Amino acid sequence: MGIGPSTKETSLHHFRDPLLDVISNDNDIDLLGVMVVGTPQDNNDKCFVGKRAAYWAEAMRADGVIISVDGWGNSHVDFANTIEEIGKKDIPVVGLSFIGTQASFVVTNKYMDTIVDFNKSEKGIETEIVGENNVNKLDAKKALALLKLRIKKAKNRY
Amino acid sequence: MNKKMSSRLVIKCYHINKVEFGDKNDIIDGKLLINEKVESELVKLNDLIEEISISIIKPREHKKYVNSIMDIIPISTKALGCIGNGITHTLTGVYVMLTGKTGDGRQMAEFGSSNGILEEKMILGRAGTPSIDDHIIHFDVVVKGGVPLGRNLAMAAHKVCDIFIQQIRDVLRQLDGRKADEIHEYVDRIVYNKTKVVIIKQIAGQGAMYDNQLLSNEPSGIEGGRSIIDIGNVPIILSPNEYRDGAIRAMT
Repeated sequence: MGIGPSTKETSLHHFRDPLLDVISNDNDIDLLGVMVVGTPQDNNDKCFVGKRAAYWAEAMRADGVIISVDGWGNSHVDFANTIEEIGKKDIPVVGLSFIGTQASFVVTNKYMDTIVDFNKSEKGIETEIVGENNVNKLDAKKALALLKLRIKKAKNRY
Repeated sequence: MNKKMSSRLVIKCYHINKVEFGDKNDIIDGKLLINEKVESELVKLNDLIEEISISIIKPREHKKYVNSIMDIIPISTKALGCIGNGITHTLTGVYVMLTGKTGDGRQMAEFGSSNGILEEKMILGRAGTPSIDDHIIHFDVVVKGGVPLGRNLAMAAHKVCDIFIQQIRDVLRQLDGRKADEIHEYVDRIVYNKTKVVIIKQIAGQGAMYDNQLLSNEPSGIEGGRSIIDIGNVPIILSPNEYRDGAIRAMT
């Protein structure tokens, strides 16, 4: 499976999500929306939903995407796949994930070069403590700053 | 024109500084009363529920043993409009903590469990957790034992907890909007000629307790929502206001 207690985002976390807070309050950004994508069990389904997410981002004419994942292990397969599909469309993408020392990516690809690790535990592990390894404001700011850089680079290429 | 305004959402916060049991649900001058008879009524609603126990955890009293923490839920209700627009009333200073196990002693968790002494199993004061000064309504559910830990058990626990919260929401909805302690206004806007960014939130939908309920009738609710599993885990777009108005109930 894929979500341990320390990476789990509670309903309260979604209600006052620091990621939304930071991005929606940035004056340089036109926030197009929050896309919610699930994590199916089956591998074909994982590819299906990842592709749909990438086509959505392209259809919305997004200049960039920030993708966060609230789990690891199996959930990283979906995460890697969706990032790859977005990357293939030449849309700059920055990821946010718990990695630490325990959750190195099980699969990876060339588009996964800008990932913010939001591990907060000293040992870098799934501590089974609720609220510990969650995205905070600083993580969100880092991710947005990195995305702005990537978008700038991409624009200079054209 | 460089901006277009869309949905407007007003969130009115009512601060609670005392939580007690009483003979009915009520909110009076910052005090939340919880109907003391509610446990016995709720337990009859679903055959998959064996036991329910509701307790009040006061600020700084976190030495209590708890079963695996299934969710921390804000108490919010729509006073006008639906998720993402209109007016939402929400309580601050008090949150619901749903915990659970099965009748044969298994924790409601599959990938590590957070059962144990609360102060060791939850970091307070994060975006997703109550602060040290908040009250916690601890809603503990024992679901049917002797059967596989399936989706129906997790859903039963969340549903019965939602029915409990709804009774408080029905009181919260009636509070005078002018007496709110804080009022926050959010407007979804299209800003032309700025950098266009999409946030993607990857949420769980593998099955069993790996589920999320989307766009329910009430903020962070269950009733009337759609499960991410049932919609095939395909991406859907939420407006920023829908998302910040409790469009996701996390059941992981």
